[in-house]
Amino acid sequence: MVDASKHEQDLRKGVLVLAVLSQLRERQYGYSLRQALAERGMPIEEGTLYPLLRRLESQGLLDSQWQAENGPPRRYYLLSDRGAALYRELASSWDSLATVMTTLLKGEER
Amino acid sequence: MKPDALIESYVADVVRHLPRRQRADVAFELRSLLADELEGRAGDAEPTAADALDLLAGFGRPADVADRYRPAGFTIIRPAEAPRFALIALIGVALQWIGTLPAVFVGEGDWLNRLAQWWLSWGLGAFWWPGILVSLSIVAALVGSRRDSTAEWTPREAAALDRDRISRPLYVLAIAGGLVGVAVLLAVVSLESVLPGLPRPLLDAFEFDAGFLSTRAPWALALWAASFAGLIAVLVAGRWSRGTRILAIAVDAGWLALLIWWATGPVFVSPLADSVTRGCLLLVAAFVVWDAVASARRLPRRIPAPAVP
Repeated sequence: MVDASKHEQDLRKGVLVLAVLSQLRERQYGYSLRQALAERGMPIEEGTLYPLLRRLESQGLLDSQWQAENGPPRRYYLLSDRGAALYRELASSWDSLATVMTTLLKGEER
Repeated sequence: MKPDALIESYVADVVRHLPRRQRADVAFELRSLLADELEGRAGDAEPTAADALDLLAGFGRPADVADRYRPAGFTIIRPAEAPRFALIALIGVALQWIGTLPAVFVGEGDWLNRLAQWWLSWGLGAFWWPGILVSLSIVAALVGSRRDSTAEWTPREAAALDRDRISRPLYVLAIAGGLVGVAVLLAVVSLESVLPGLPRPLLDAFEFDAGFLSTRAPWALALWAASFAGLIAVLVAGRWSRGTRILAIAVDAGWLALLIWWATGPVFVSPLADSVTRGCLLLVAAFVVWDAVASARRLPRRIPAPAVP
């Protein structure tokens, strides 16, 4: 029996960064980001998401700031200029890829 | 244990694996995020220790989580090279043990004491071999990581795939050198007539055994001829082929047989010259074996077609 969940996990891994960048056009902290992604059908394990945010920040793709709003201090993340540029590029690549994949999956000739 | 204390302990365990300057910042954020998660899971109820353990179990082992916070490192041993690396390392250790362990059980006295001494010397000492392999791999990986890994693999580099292509000038030199060598060896056979002015002791030292010259030596001429024919064929074609490789292996096999035959009887009349020559023959035989193995490894192999029903 083929373990589909493993392959699905790999599939999601490929779009993880794009999904995160897409939601950080608005300021979010880790937990709220995870909730937002889950609500839109992209649940990401917390143990994967939180370290990813720090790695993206260290690559200069995100800006972050500690803020206390209606609760304890939290670190809020937002796309940096570089992150926004990368997001536009990846979103465009995704559009092409999605078109190609739809064609492939429907079995149509190009 | 209270949920907060469990989270605190978990966070401390994660950041312990991170660089010191990163610890406080990550710890504060991770603790806050885990508290948010726990609160979210419990809803309106008060979170319990079981909820916290469930959350932390899903989050992952502290060392694994810490790894995710770190940027990707560099590979010391490539996956494709790992099996061969492990084999070379283990064979190296095994050979040292095989070579030294039997002595422990030979002879009189307390073998257990000798075994303990062996373990503290060769037993553990044999691990210098995997150690040095790993150290060299680290150096190679460090050097490799400094190179631009995104650089394209150019056609010029790819040309190295054609391992059978030869450098013609080098082969011309090799053939010329070989011919000179053969001429010198043939001159030694009749040294007295070629260089009659040489001192008598020197001429006596190079006096060949009559039986050797009449029965065992002439076969070398056939092997030399075959070697030169093969090299000239390679020179003309500009590359090795399966045929020339097989010829080279056959000639090597012939040389090996001939060298063994030579070693069974006297080559020179002088005992000293004879014993030195036989030692040299051993070295030549070792080189011939090495050359045959190298040629066999380079023998072009056809990729077999899969069985089609």
